[in-house]
Amino acid sequence: MEEINIVLAGVGGQGILLAAEILGTAALKEGLNVRVSEIHGMAQRGGAVISNVRIGEKVLAPTALEGKADMLLGFEPLETLRNLKFASEKTLILMNNEAIPPPGLTTKMMNYPSLGEITEKIRAFTKNVVVLEAAKLAEEAGSILTRNIVLIGGLVATGKVPVKIESLKEAIRELVPARYLDMNMKAFELGYKYVQKKTKLAF
Amino acid sequence: MPDSHVLLKDSPGKHVLLLGNEAIARGILEAGISVVTTYPGTPASEIGDSISAIAAEAGLYMEYSTNEIVAVEVAAGAANCGIRALTAMKHVGLNVASDLVMTLAYAGVRGGFVIVTADDPECYSSQNEQDNRFYALLSNLPCLEPSNSQEAKDMTISAIEISEKLELPVLLRTTTRIGHTRGPVAYSRLTKPNLKGKFIRDVKRLVMIPANSRPKHPVLLKSLEKAKEISEKSPYNRVMHEGKNKEFGVISSSSAYNYTVEAADLLGLDVSILKLGMTHPLPEKMIGKFLKRHEKIIIVEELEPYLEMQIKAIAKDYAPNVKIYGKMNKPYFPREGELSTRTVATGLAKITSKKLPINFRKIDERYAEIAKDLPPRPPILCAGCPHRASFYVIKKVAGEKAVFPTDIGCYALGIAPPLNVGDIMICMGASIGTAQGIGKVTSADTIAIIGDSTFFHAGIPGLINAVYNNHKIIVAVLDNLTTAMTGHQPHPGTGITGMHNPTEKILIENVAEGCGVKYVKVVDPFKIKEAEATLKEALQYPGPSVIVFRAPCALMVVRERRRKGAEIVACKITNKCINCMACIKLLGCPALIVEEGTVSINETLCVACGLCASVCPYDAIECPEED
Ligand SMILES: Cc1ncc(C[n+]2csc(CCOP(=O)(O)OP(=O)(O)O)c2C)c(N)n1
Ligand code: SF4
Ligand code: SF4
Repeated sequence: MEEINIVLAGVGGQGILLAAEILGTAALKEGLNVRVSEIHGMAQRGGAVISNVRIGEKVLAPTALEGKADMLLGFEPLETLRNLKFASEKTLILMNNEAIPPPGLTTKMMNYPSLGEITEKIRAFTKNVVVLEAAKLAEEAGSILTRNIVLIGGLVATGKVPVKIESLKEAIRELVPARYLDMNMKAFELGYKYVQKKTKLAF
Repeated sequence: MPDSHVLLKDSPGKHVLLLGNEAIARGILEAGISVVTTYPGTPASEIGDSISAIAAEAGLYMEYSTNEIVAVEVAAGAANCGIRALTAMKHVGLNVASDLVMTLAYAGVRGGFVIVTADDPECYSSQNEQDNRFYALLSNLPCLEPSNSQEAKDMTISAIEISEKLELPVLLRTTTRIGHTRGPVAYSRLTKPNLKGKFIRDVKRLVMIPANSRPKHPVLLKSLEKAKEISEKSPYNRVMHEGKNKEFGVISSSSAYNYTVEAADLLGLDVSILKLGMTHPLPEKMIGKFLKRHEKIIIVEELEPYLEMQIKAIAKDYAPNVKIYGKMNKPYFPREGELSTRTVATGLAKITSKKLPINFRKIDERYAEIAKDLPPRPPILCAGCPHRASFYVIKKVAGEKAVFPTDIGCYALGIAPPLNVGDIMICMGASIGTAQGIGKVTSADTIAIIGDSTFFHAGIPGLINAVYNNHKIIVAVLDNLTTAMTGHQPHPGTGITGMHNPTEKILIENVAEGCGVKYVKVVDPFKIKEAEATLKEALQYPGPSVIVFRAPCALMVVRERRRKGAEIVACKITNKCINCMACIKLLGCPALIVEEGTVSINETLCVACGLCASVCPYDAIECPEED
């Protein structure tokens, strides 16, 4: 199997590390070698969070090389933009359109770029961009907190993640608290269907 | 997050995706390590936290000790009764514990004892990026360095075995990338813990008066020779790949090894790689043999040239003509920050005159264009954080002229605007001591800022010094009733132990009074008027004073309310608001938002702490009544 690099980026509290762990666990279930890197420590205070999921026989290092991400899963537009150095024209970018402006922008006389500006810059990098309303779909599933699973569902629907849907669902069942499981399964389906519909047009 | 109970499954052969730190916890259970002590610190915290979650069920003893030296003392005591023990800490924790460790190396242990030191190249969450492999050289203790989760588990077990063979503590050195990267781990059998130790009186061995320690030094050096034999035969030290290229040979360890393999692959460089997992003492003969086989040797290691210095000395004896490339004379690899496949590939390409297949410069340039106007997203105090209220009060009363030596914890984020509190911060506990020096030689009011966990960890000797030498400082203890920064671990003031048992709550105000401080007050930082009055009074007090600002961490409050199923109703801005921006300029709460000149409150973020309502000059913010 070819090496697959997935970069996940967003804001502390969006469930990025759990999403990465679910992807890694699903890969391991299929006997694939995997590394999931996390940088945390101060994430609880709304800082930027980034994680790498690397799948492949020869993978040893925790992070992907610049320009070498096969997929960039953006949990937040600004953070997606910030991590574009991992992307190239071959990268598939799946982005949640939920803007979370960093606090204190007004005192710094800075503006949060508009969603249009952000997508424009991203599209200059790669044409494979899918924007989805993960927060809205998550609310529909029962809670905004399931947006990470919506995004995983969406990622899987692109057909580029080298693991079976069943393994992913099993990983979700293992790692999500039982009382929230139904909600998360619904979130997975919603994300999956949304992107499936969208990519039929795009690819 | 994963349930720590997966660590307790006795299912040999099962493969589980674990963080390096969780893998060490699994190693603890497989090795039958029975006493685990720690003081939290990123990137080591998950070791202690995983064990704390399952200790009672597993039948072992775990504690969050007051600080790192006490943690090592407790474990060393148990290990000297023949019990297997482990202490985990972040790299700078070993500075705190080093006084004990240096001489414990003379006394030794009877049961296996592993000291985990988690280094932090790149200072992701630390005040420095010191390379603790030098502690192995300094103390003459053996050191193992895992390069992935599987090795993290295996080496925990090997370290215990080596420790018992040599009767010495063994260092297990990880880094952020090892502890915080998940990888597959194959389970082996669990070993039942044993907490029934026996203390054997042996004064010559254990009482380190000069007459006893002097003869212990040569004994330690002899053990080091034995350790060298272990290192020569260690499965962790071996040539991982025999390359076709006979000109160059590469020596590497830990994370650097992972980058090296991928970088060599990227460059199409088919070189032999000697991987070192036991990095103290080094397998001199094995390295000598490897040096002899090559004309040129490349050493890839993170941070200091620890291997390079020693390998150069080995080369003098074994292969004086071999050319060695690393970071000492001509720096092919950086000595600061963490390595990456990119930095290693760049260095390897330069040394071997290979061409990099990726144009990183082009990527950088393209990215710089995009990144140039991006607003940063630094960590900040949470919405509703009690520290924000304390800082507001402190700044308002003490003003711009006062000096604020601060300390390590969430409250270090008080240096950010608009609060701007924090003028010097070096290491845990230093706020109280540095305040005294500054106060002595300047006329400024000096207010030391320190957290509750930090106060217990290292603040008390400094406070006693202030009383004894009569330094007129104010110590503001920001007591949020937890060790928040590192993941909300309990501490001596919380009334709960690492085994999840209730215990005596040690009150900071009582400690301060016991230390002889005559002016000690406890305030609620959200009761702004009272807190201000108290601080004003303390500023007039002629001797050292302590004010405990006590209110729980907002994250804990929110979790507790969620657990109870209580709804959190956000505060509201009423039409009395004239958008004067006072709340924005004074507080910087992330829930307070300005859009096109209008202030609003983000309902998902606001936890209704009421601070903005208290500072609003127009009484325009309404908060729900407290239940
Ligand atoms: C010697 C040492 N050990 C551990 C740490 C990691 N560490 C940083 S801050 C902190 C404690 C923070 O707790 P507290 O003082 O209560 O402040 P809070 O974060 O709760 O505001 C710890 C353990 C360190 N920096 N140095
Ligand atoms: S975790 Fe707690 S103490 Fe730390 S910034 Fe958030 S509310 Fe404040
Ligand atoms: S009440 Fe005000 S200061 Fe407190 S969390 Fe809400 S917006 Fe922030």
